[in-house]
Amino acid sequence: MRNNVKLDPHGEELMQRYRDLLPTLEGLAREADGLLRQALREQGIYVTAIECRVKTEQSLAGKLELKGAKYKTIDDITDLVGMRVITFYTDEVDKVAAIAKRIFDIDWKESVDKRKLHQLDAFGYNSLHFICRLKTGGPRFELQMRTALQHVWSTIEHDIGYKGAVKIPNEYKRQFSRLAGMLELIDDEFSRLRTVLTDYRRQIQSLVKSGQLSEVPLSADTFRSYLDLKPFERLNRRIAAVNQAEVYPVSMMPFLPVLESFGLDTIGDVQQFIEENSEDAYQLALSQLAVTDLDILSSSAALQYLCLVYVLKHNGGREGLKSLYDTINGESDSNAILADMMLEQAETLPFMKGKTHEESM
Amino acid sequence: MKTTIQEQDGNLVAILEGRLDTAAAPETEKAMAPLYNSQGQNVIIDCTALEYVSSSGLRIFLGILKSVKPKGGHVYIKGISDDIRAIFAMTGFVNLFEFK
Repeated sequence: MRNNVKLDPHGEELMQRYRDLLPTLEGLAREADGLLRQALREQGIYVTAIECRVKTEQSLAGKLELKGAKYKTIDDITDLVGMRVITFYTDEVDKVAAIAKRIFDIDWKESVDKRKLHQLDAFGYNSLHFICRLKTGGPRFELQMRTALQHVWSTIEHDIGYKGAVKIPNEYKRQFSRLAGMLELIDDEFSRLRTVLTDYRRQIQSLVKSGQLSEVPLSADTFRSYLDLKPFERLNRRIAAVNQAEVYPVSMMPFLPVLESFGLDTIGDVQQFIEENSEDAYQLALSQLAVTDLDILSSSAALQYLCLVYVLKHNGGREGLKSLYDTINGESDSNAILADMMLEQAETLPFMKGKTHEESM
Repeated sequence: MKTTIQEQDGNLVAILEGRLDTAAAPETEKAMAPLYNSQGQNVIIDCTALEYVSSSGLRIFLGILKSVKPKGGHVYIKGISDDIRAIFAMTGFVNLFEFK
Protein backbone atom coordinates (compact mmCIF):
# COMPACT_ATOMS: atom_id res chain seq x y z
CA MET A 1 0.00 0.00 0.00
CA ARG A 2 1.54 3.30 -1.12
CA ASN A 3 -0.21 6.62 -0.82
CA ASN A 4 0.55 8.65 -3.94
CA VAL A 5 4.29 8.24 -3.59
CA LYS A 6 6.13 8.60 -6.89
CA LEU A 7 9.47 6.84 -7.02
CA ASP A 8 12.14 7.32 -9.66
CA PRO A 9 13.46 4.21 -11.50
CA HIS A 10 16.23 3.76 -8.92
CA GLY A 11 13.71 3.96 -6.11
CA GLU A 12 11.45 1.42 -7.88
CA GLU A 13 14.42 -0.92 -8.27
CA LEU A 14 15.19 -0.69 -4.53
CA MET A 15 11.52 -1.26 -3.76
CA GLN A 16 11.50 -4.43 -5.87
CA ARG A 17 14.60 -5.70 -4.05
CA TYR A 18 12.80 -5.01 -0.75
CA ARG A 19 9.81 -7.08 -1.89
CA ASP A 20 12.13 -9.95 -2.89
CA LEU A 21 13.85 -9.73 0.48
CA LEU A 22 10.67 -9.53 2.57
CA PRO A 23 10.53 -13.24 3.65
CA THR A 24 14.23 -13.02 4.65
CA LEU A 25 13.59 -9.82 6.60
CA GLU A 26 10.65 -11.37 8.43
CA GLY A 27 12.79 -14.39 9.37
CA LEU A 28 15.60 -12.07 10.49
CA ALA A 29 13.20 -10.07 12.69
CA ARG A 30 11.94 -13.23 14.39
CA GLU A 31 15.45 -14.58 14.97
CA ALA A 32 16.97 -11.32 16.23
CA ASP A 33 13.99 -10.71 18.51
CA GLY A 34 14.19 -14.24 19.92
CA LEU A 35 17.97 -14.04 20.48
CA LEU A 36 17.77 -10.71 22.29
CA ARG A 37 14.83 -11.72 24.49
CA GLN A 38 16.58 -14.94 25.48
CA ALA A 39 19.86 -13.16 26.30
CA LEU A 40 18.09 -10.51 28.41
CA ARG A 41 16.17 -13.21 30.25
CA GLU A 42 19.36 -15.16 30.94
CA GLN A 43 21.03 -12.05 32.34
CA GLY A 44 17.99 -11.24 34.51
CA ILE A 45 17.38 -7.88 32.82
CA TYR A 46 13.75 -6.81 32.88
CA VAL A 47 12.79 -4.06 30.46
CA THR A 48 9.54 -2.21 29.88
CA ALA A 49 9.28 -3.22 26.22
CA ILE A 50 11.01 -4.96 23.36
CA GLU A 51 9.61 -4.03 19.96
CA CYS A 52 10.53 -5.49 16.61
CA ARG A 53 9.18 -4.66 13.17
CA VAL A 54 9.90 -5.03 9.49
CA LYS A 55 9.60 -1.71 7.68
CA THR A 56 6.35 -1.45 5.77
CA GLU A 57 6.30 -0.80 2.02
CA GLN A 58 4.56 2.51 2.65
CA SER A 59 7.20 3.65 5.11
CA LEU A 60 10.02 2.59 2.80
CA ALA A 61 8.37 4.40 -0.13
CA GLY A 62 8.29 7.61 1.90
CA LYS A 63 11.95 7.21 2.77
CA LEU A 64 12.96 6.48 -0.83
CA GLU A 65 10.95 9.43 -2.13
CA LEU A 66 12.77 11.78 0.25
CA LYS A 67 16.31 10.46 0.04
CA GLY A 68 16.37 7.48 -2.35
CA ALA A 69 19.49 8.73 -4.12
CA LYS A 70 21.44 8.33 -0.89
CA TYR A 71 21.11 4.54 -1.08
CA LYS A 72 23.04 2.74 -3.81
CA THR A 73 21.72 -0.71 -2.93
CA ILE A 74 19.05 -2.09 -0.63
CA ASP A 75 21.82 -3.14 1.79
CA ASP A 76 22.53 0.53 2.45
CA ILE A 77 19.13 0.88 4.14
CA THR A 78 19.88 -0.40 7.60
CA ASP A 79 16.47 -0.07 9.28
CA LEU A 80 14.45 -2.46 7.11
CA VAL A 81 14.31 -4.49 10.30
CA GLY A 82 14.19 -2.36 13.44
CA MET A 83 14.25 -3.38 17.07
CA ARG A 84 13.77 -1.19 20.08
CA VAL A 85 14.48 -2.00 23.71
CA ILE A 86 13.00 0.35 26.30
CA THR A 87 14.58 0.02 29.73
CA PHE A 88 13.58 1.31 33.15
CA TYR A 89 16.93 2.87 34.04
CA THR A 90 19.76 4.63 32.21
CA ASP A 91 22.44 2.16 33.30
CA GLU A 92 20.37 -0.66 31.84
CA VAL A 93 20.75 0.89 28.37
CA ASP A 94 24.46 0.13 28.67
CA LYS A 95 23.77 -3.39 29.89
CA VAL A 96 21.49 -4.07 26.92
CA ALA A 97 24.18 -2.62 24.64
CA ALA A 98 26.79 -4.94 26.15
CA ILE A 99 24.52 -7.91 25.53
CA ALA A 100 23.84 -6.79 21.95
CA LYS A 101 27.61 -6.58 21.35
CA ARG A 102 27.95 -10.16 22.51
CA ILE A 103 25.12 -11.72 20.51
CA PHE A 104 25.25 -9.63 17.31
CA ASP A 105 28.02 -8.27 15.07
CA ILE A 106 27.94 -4.48 15.35
CA ASP A 107 28.70 -2.22 12.42
CA TRP A 108 30.60 0.45 14.36
CA LYS A 109 30.90 2.83 11.41
CA GLU A 110 27.12 3.19 11.27
CA SER A 111 26.26 2.89 14.96
CA VAL A 112 25.60 6.06 16.93
CA ASP A 113 25.54 6.85 20.61
CA LYS A 114 23.39 9.96 20.43
CA ARG A 115 23.83 10.37 24.16
CA LYS A 116 27.42 11.46 23.46
CA LEU A 117 26.66 13.71 20.52
CA HIS A 118 25.24 16.59 22.52
CA GLN A 119 26.82 19.97 22.59
CA LEU A 120 27.88 20.86 26.11
CA ASP A 121 25.13 23.46 26.34
CA ALA A 122 22.37 21.42 24.67
CA PHE A 123 19.87 18.81 25.73
CA GLY A 124 17.69 16.67 23.57
CA TYR A 125 17.13 13.29 22.14
CA ASN A 126 19.13 10.63 23.92
CA SER A 127 19.31 7.19 22.45
CA LEU A 128 21.79 4.52 21.55
CA HIS A 129 21.53 3.10 18.04
CA PHE A 130 23.44 0.03 16.87
CA ILE A 131 23.49 -1.28 13.34
CA CYS A 132 23.75 -5.02 13.78
CA ARG A 133 24.05 -8.22 11.82
CA LEU A 134 23.38 -11.76 13.02
CA LYS A 135 26.57 -13.71 13.71
CA THR A 136 25.39 -16.06 10.97
CA GLY A 137 25.28 -13.20 8.42
CA GLY A 138 22.33 -11.81 6.47
CA PRO A 139 21.02 -8.24 6.13
CA ARG A 140 21.83 -5.57 8.69
CA PHE A 141 19.21 -4.30 11.12
CA GLU A 142 18.85 -1.42 13.55
CA LEU A 143 18.67 -1.75 17.33
CA GLN A 144 17.58 1.28 19.36
CA MET A 145 18.10 1.27 23.12
CA ARG A 146 16.63 3.92 25.38
CA THR A 147 15.00 4.45 28.75
CA ALA A 148 11.25 4.82 29.21
CA LEU A 149 11.66 8.58 29.75
CA GLN A 150 13.85 8.93 26.65
CA HIS A 151 11.10 7.09 24.79
CA VAL A 152 8.49 9.51 26.11
CA TRP A 153 10.65 12.41 24.97
CA SER A 154 11.16 10.90 21.54
CA THR A 155 7.47 10.07 21.08
CA ILE A 156 6.28 13.54 22.10
CA GLU A 157 8.97 15.22 20.04
CA HIS A 158 7.78 13.21 17.04
CA ASP A 159 4.13 14.01 17.74
CA ILE A 160 4.72 17.74 18.09
CA GLY A 161 6.72 17.78 14.90
CA TYR A 162 9.80 19.35 16.45
CA LYS A 163 11.90 18.06 13.60
CA GLY A 164 9.30 18.87 10.93
CA ALA A 165 9.43 21.20 7.98
CA VAL A 166 8.52 24.36 9.91
CA LYS A 167 11.44 26.09 11.57
CA ILE A 168 10.87 26.32 15.32
CA PRO A 169 11.57 29.73 16.90
CA ASN A 170 14.40 29.79 19.47
CA GLU A 171 11.97 30.60 22.26
CA TYR A 172 10.18 27.24 21.75
CA LYS A 173 13.42 25.38 21.17
CA ARG A 174 14.52 26.58 24.58
CA GLN A 175 11.31 25.21 26.15
CA PHE A 176 12.03 21.85 24.54
CA SER A 177 15.56 21.89 25.90
CA ARG A 178 14.35 22.70 29.40
CA LEU A 179 11.97 19.74 29.31
CA ALA A 180 14.65 17.43 27.89
CA GLY A 181 17.05 18.50 30.62
CA MET A 182 14.42 17.86 33.24
CA LEU A 183 13.74 14.36 31.87
CA GLU A 184 17.46 13.61 31.85
CA LEU A 185 17.72 14.70 35.48
CA ILE A 186 14.73 12.57 36.46
CA ASP A 187 16.23 9.57 34.64
CA ASP A 188 19.50 9.99 36.53
CA GLU A 189 17.69 10.48 39.85
CA PHE A 190 15.68 7.27 39.38
CA SER A 191 18.91 5.37 38.69
CA ARG A 192 20.59 6.92 41.71
CA LEU A 193 17.61 6.14 43.95
CA ARG A 194 17.61 2.55 42.80
CA THR A 195 21.30 2.22 43.62
CA VAL A 196 20.77 3.75 47.06
CA LEU A 197 17.86 1.41 47.81
CA THR A 198 19.79 -1.64 46.59
CA ASP A 199 22.66 -0.69 48.93
CA TYR A 200 20.21 -0.22 51.80
CA ARG A 201 18.68 -3.66 51.17
CA ARG A 202 22.15 -5.25 51.16
CA GLN A 203 23.06 -3.52 54.45
CA ILE A 204 19.85 -4.70 56.09
CA GLN A 205 20.28 -8.25 54.80
CA SER A 206 23.79 -8.33 56.21
CA LEU A 207 22.54 -7.03 59.61
CA VAL A 208 19.88 -9.77 59.64
CA LYS A 209 22.45 -12.42 58.73
CA SER A 210 24.91 -11.22 61.37
CA GLY A 211 22.20 -11.42 64.03
CA GLN A 212 22.04 -7.67 64.79
CA LEU A 213 18.29 -7.93 64.66
CA SER A 214 17.38 -5.11 67.04
CA GLU A 215 18.90 -2.60 64.59
CA VAL A 216 16.77 -3.79 61.70
CA PRO A 217 13.40 -2.05 61.27
CA LEU A 218 10.50 -4.36 60.45
CA SER A 219 9.40 -3.94 56.84
CA ALA A 220 8.42 -6.13 53.89
CA ASP A 221 12.03 -6.30 52.71
CA THR A 222 13.57 -7.04 56.09
CA PHE A 223 10.89 -9.56 57.04
CA ARG A 224 11.51 -11.37 53.75
CA SER A 225 15.26 -11.50 54.48
CA TYR A 226 14.53 -12.67 58.01
CA LEU A 227 12.35 -15.49 56.67
CA ASP A 228 15.41 -16.77 54.77
CA LEU A 229 16.80 -17.66 58.20
CA LYS A 230 13.74 -19.93 58.70
CA PRO A 231 12.88 -18.53 62.15
CA PHE A 232 9.62 -20.51 62.41
CA GLU A 233 10.99 -23.85 61.26
CA ARG A 234 11.75 -25.21 64.73
CA LEU A 235 8.24 -24.53 66.04
CA ASN A 236 6.71 -25.76 62.77
CA ARG A 237 8.61 -29.04 63.10
CA ARG A 238 7.44 -29.42 66.70
CA ILE A 239 3.82 -28.80 65.74
CA ALA A 240 4.08 -31.07 62.69
CA ALA A 241 5.44 -33.87 64.89
CA VAL A 242 2.08 -34.01 66.73
CA ASN A 243 0.54 -35.87 63.78
CA GLN A 244 3.70 -36.64 61.78
CA ALA A 245 2.41 -34.00 59.38
CA GLU A 246 3.83 -32.86 56.07
CA VAL A 247 4.62 -29.10 56.05
CA TYR A 248 3.25 -27.45 52.92
CA PRO A 249 5.17 -24.27 51.95
CA VAL A 250 3.13 -21.05 51.79
CA SER A 251 3.98 -17.35 52.01
CA MET A 252 4.20 -15.83 55.49
CA MET A 253 4.06 -12.26 54.20
CA PRO A 254 0.29 -11.90 54.95
CA PHE A 255 1.27 -11.97 58.64
CA LEU A 256 3.45 -8.86 58.39
CA PRO A 257 0.56 -6.41 59.04
CA VAL A 258 -0.41 -8.53 62.05
CA LEU A 259 3.10 -8.28 63.52
CA GLU A 260 3.10 -4.53 62.87
CA SER A 261 -0.27 -4.22 64.60
CA PHE A 262 1.29 -5.89 67.66
CA GLY A 263 3.70 -2.95 67.83
CA LEU A 264 6.75 -4.98 66.77
CA ASP A 265 9.08 -2.36 65.28
CA THR A 266 12.24 -4.33 64.60
CA ILE A 267 13.21 -7.81 63.51
CA GLY A 268 14.66 -8.12 67.03
CA ASP A 269 11.13 -7.59 68.39
CA VAL A 270 9.88 -10.40 66.14
CA GLN A 271 12.63 -12.67 67.43
CA GLN A 272 11.67 -11.86 71.00
CA PHE A 273 7.98 -12.44 70.16
CA ILE A 274 8.88 -15.93 68.92
CA GLU A 275 10.99 -16.74 71.98
CA GLU A 276 8.34 -15.53 74.44
CA ASN A 277 5.38 -17.28 72.84
CA SER A 278 6.71 -20.48 71.27
CA GLU A 279 5.89 -22.84 74.14
CA ASP A 280 2.33 -21.51 74.49
CA ALA A 281 1.85 -21.59 70.70
CA TYR A 282 2.93 -25.23 70.73
CA GLN A 283 0.46 -26.02 73.55
CA LEU A 284 -2.35 -24.31 71.65
CA ALA A 285 -1.52 -26.19 68.44
CA LEU A 286 -1.26 -29.44 70.35
CA SER A 287 -4.69 -28.94 71.94
CA GLN A 288 -6.19 -28.44 68.49
CA LEU A 289 -4.35 -30.95 66.35
CA ALA A 290 -3.83 -33.89 68.71
CA VAL A 291 -7.53 -34.74 68.59
CA THR A 292 -7.47 -34.89 64.77
CA ASP A 293 -5.68 -37.05 62.22
CA LEU A 294 -4.67 -34.02 60.12
CA ASP A 295 -1.25 -34.80 58.72
CA ILE A 296 -0.71 -31.73 56.54
CA LEU A 297 0.06 -28.23 57.80
CA SER A 298 0.90 -24.97 56.12
CA SER A 299 4.36 -23.58 56.85
CA SER A 300 2.62 -20.52 58.32
CA ALA A 301 1.00 -22.66 61.05
CA ALA A 302 3.67 -21.84 63.66
CA LEU A 303 3.40 -18.11 62.99
CA GLN A 304 -0.39 -18.30 63.07
CA TYR A 305 -0.40 -20.04 66.48
CA LEU A 306 2.16 -17.53 67.78
CA CYS A 307 -0.12 -14.67 66.74
CA LEU A 308 -3.19 -16.34 68.25
CA VAL A 309 -1.35 -16.82 71.56
CA TYR A 310 -0.17 -13.21 71.55
CA VAL A 311 -3.74 -11.93 71.09
CA LEU A 312 -5.08 -14.26 73.79
CA LYS A 313 -2.33 -13.32 76.26
CA HIS A 314 -2.88 -9.63 75.68
CA ASN A 315 -6.61 -9.89 76.37
CA GLY A 316 -7.51 -9.30 72.76
CA GLY A 317 -10.50 -11.59 73.24
CA ARG A 318 -13.05 -12.29 70.57
CA GLU A 319 -12.60 -8.96 68.79
CA GLY A 320 -8.82 -9.32 68.75
CA LEU A 321 -9.02 -12.84 67.36
CA LYS A 322 -11.56 -11.82 64.74
CA SER A 323 -9.39 -8.90 63.74
CA LEU A 324 -6.39 -11.27 63.42
CA TYR A 325 -8.39 -13.68 61.24
CA ASP A 326 -9.74 -10.74 59.21
CA THR A 327 -6.16 -9.62 58.48
CA ILE A 328 -4.79 -12.98 57.45
CA ASN A 329 -7.90 -14.55 55.89
CA GLY A 330 -9.67 -11.47 54.57
CA GLU A 331 -12.64 -9.86 56.27
CA SER A 332 -15.59 -12.19 56.80
CA ASP A 333 -18.36 -12.74 59.34
CA SER A 334 -17.28 -16.36 59.59
CA ASN A 335 -14.03 -15.19 61.20
CA ALA A 336 -16.14 -14.40 64.28
CA ILE A 337 -17.13 -18.07 64.42
CA LEU A 338 -13.46 -19.10 64.20
CA ALA A 339 -12.69 -16.59 66.98
CA ASP A 340 -15.41 -18.09 69.20
CA MET A 341 -14.12 -21.62 68.60
CA MET A 342 -10.56 -20.53 69.39
CA LEU A 343 -11.60 -18.81 72.63
CA GLU A 344 -13.45 -21.89 73.77
CA GLN A 345 -10.58 -24.26 72.97
CA ALA A 346 -7.89 -22.05 74.51
CA GLU A 347 -9.78 -21.58 77.77
CA THR A 348 -8.12 -24.48 79.59
CA LEU A 349 -4.55 -23.75 78.49
CA PRO A 350 -2.02 -22.69 81.18
CA PHE A 351 -1.31 -19.25 79.69
CA MET A 352 -5.03 -18.42 79.94
CA LYS A 353 -5.11 -19.01 83.68
CA GLY A 354 -6.29 -15.94 85.54
CA LYS A 355 -7.96 -14.61 82.41
CA THR A 356 -11.69 -15.02 82.90
CA HIS A 357 -13.95 -15.69 79.94
CA GLU A 358 -15.60 -12.32 80.52
CA GLU A 359 -12.22 -10.61 80.34
CA SER A 360 -11.52 -12.33 77.03
CA MET A 361 -14.89 -11.34 75.62
CA MET B 1 -19.01 -39.46 48.59
CA LYS B 2 -20.49 -37.96 45.42
CA THR B 3 -18.71 -35.51 43.11
CA THR B 4 -20.43 -33.64 40.30
CA ILE B 5 -18.59 -31.39 37.85
CA GLN B 6 -20.53 -28.69 36.02
CA GLU B 7 -19.80 -25.63 33.96
CA GLN B 8 -21.73 -22.55 35.15
CA ASP B 9 -21.33 -19.05 33.67
CA GLY B 10 -17.85 -19.90 32.42
CA ASN B 11 -16.74 -21.30 35.80
CA LEU B 12 -15.90 -24.92 36.55
CA VAL B 13 -17.97 -26.06 39.52
CA ALA B 14 -17.37 -29.18 41.61
CA ILE B 15 -20.24 -30.12 43.91
CA LEU B 16 -19.07 -32.32 46.76
CA GLU B 17 -21.53 -34.35 48.85
CA GLY B 18 -20.72 -36.62 51.79
CA ARG B 19 -17.47 -37.29 53.68
CA LEU B 20 -14.20 -36.54 51.90
CA ASP B 21 -12.05 -38.87 53.98
CA THR B 22 -8.92 -40.86 53.15
CA ALA B 23 -10.95 -43.73 51.67
CA ALA B 24 -12.99 -41.45 49.40
CA ALA B 25 -10.07 -39.24 48.33
CA PRO B 26 -8.67 -41.26 45.35
CA GLU B 27 -12.07 -41.52 43.68
CA THR B 28 -12.87 -37.86 44.38
CA GLU B 29 -9.52 -36.76 42.97
CA LYS B 30 -10.22 -38.73 39.80
CA ALA B 31 -13.67 -37.18 39.49
CA MET B 32 -12.18 -33.70 39.92
CA ALA B 33 -9.62 -34.19 37.11
CA PRO B 34 -11.36 -31.63 34.81
CA LEU B 35 -10.57 -28.96 37.42
CA TYR B 36 -6.85 -29.72 37.21
CA ASN B 37 -7.07 -29.29 33.43
CA SER B 38 -8.90 -25.95 33.57
CA GLN B 39 -7.74 -23.35 31.07
CA GLY B 40 -7.72 -20.24 33.23
CA GLN B 41 -11.38 -20.42 34.27
CA ASN B 42 -12.33 -19.86 37.88
CA VAL B 43 -13.04 -22.98 39.91
CA ILE B 44 -15.81 -23.16 42.51
CA ILE B 45 -15.79 -26.04 44.96
CA ASP B 46 -19.30 -26.24 46.36
CA CYS B 47 -19.02 -27.71 49.87
CA THR B 48 -22.62 -27.02 50.94
CA ALA B 49 -23.29 -30.75 51.32
CA LEU B 50 -19.77 -31.73 52.39
CA GLU B 51 -19.81 -33.23 55.88
CA TYR B 52 -16.11 -33.78 56.57
CA VAL B 53 -12.72 -33.25 54.98
CA SER B 54 -9.55 -35.13 55.94
CA SER B 55 -5.90 -34.34 55.16
CA SER B 56 -6.30 -36.24 51.89
CA GLY B 57 -9.16 -33.90 51.01
CA LEU B 58 -7.07 -30.86 51.88
CA ARG B 59 -4.34 -32.19 49.59
CA ILE B 60 -6.85 -32.39 46.72
CA PHE B 61 -7.92 -28.77 47.35
CA LEU B 62 -4.26 -27.66 47.45
CA GLY B 63 -3.51 -29.60 44.25
CA ILE B 64 -6.36 -27.84 42.45
CA LEU B 65 -5.16 -24.46 43.73
CA LYS B 66 -1.62 -25.21 42.53
CA SER B 67 -2.91 -26.11 39.09
CA VAL B 68 -5.49 -23.31 38.64
CA LYS B 69 -3.63 -20.27 40.03
CA PRO B 70 -0.69 -20.20 37.58
CA LYS B 71 -3.21 -20.17 34.72
CA GLY B 72 -4.78 -17.00 36.14
CA GLY B 73 -7.86 -18.63 37.66
CA HIS B 74 -9.25 -18.34 41.19
CA VAL B 75 -10.39 -21.17 43.44
CA TYR B 76 -13.49 -20.36 45.47
CA ILE B 77 -14.81 -22.57 48.23
CA LYS B 78 -18.55 -22.19 48.65
CA GLY B 79 -20.95 -23.12 51.42
CA ILE B 80 -18.35 -24.49 53.82
CA SER B 81 -19.55 -25.56 57.29
CA ASP B 82 -18.04 -24.10 60.46
CA ASP B 83 -16.41 -27.43 61.34
CA ILE B 84 -14.65 -27.68 57.98
CA ARG B 85 -13.63 -24.03 58.15
CA ALA B 86 -12.03 -24.82 61.51
CA ILE B 87 -10.00 -27.59 59.84
CA PHE B 88 -8.73 -25.09 57.27
CA ALA B 89 -7.95 -22.65 60.08
CA MET B 90 -6.09 -25.01 62.39
CA THR B 91 -3.88 -26.27 59.56
CA GLY B 92 -3.18 -22.69 58.42
CA PHE B 93 -4.71 -22.99 54.96
CA VAL B 94 -7.62 -20.53 55.24
CA ASN B 95 -5.83 -17.62 53.65
CA LEU B 96 -4.85 -19.61 50.56
CA PHE B 97 -8.42 -19.95 49.37
CA GLU B 98 -11.24 -17.54 48.65
CA PHE B 99 -14.45 -18.40 50.47
CA LYS B 100 -17.95 -17.59 49.19
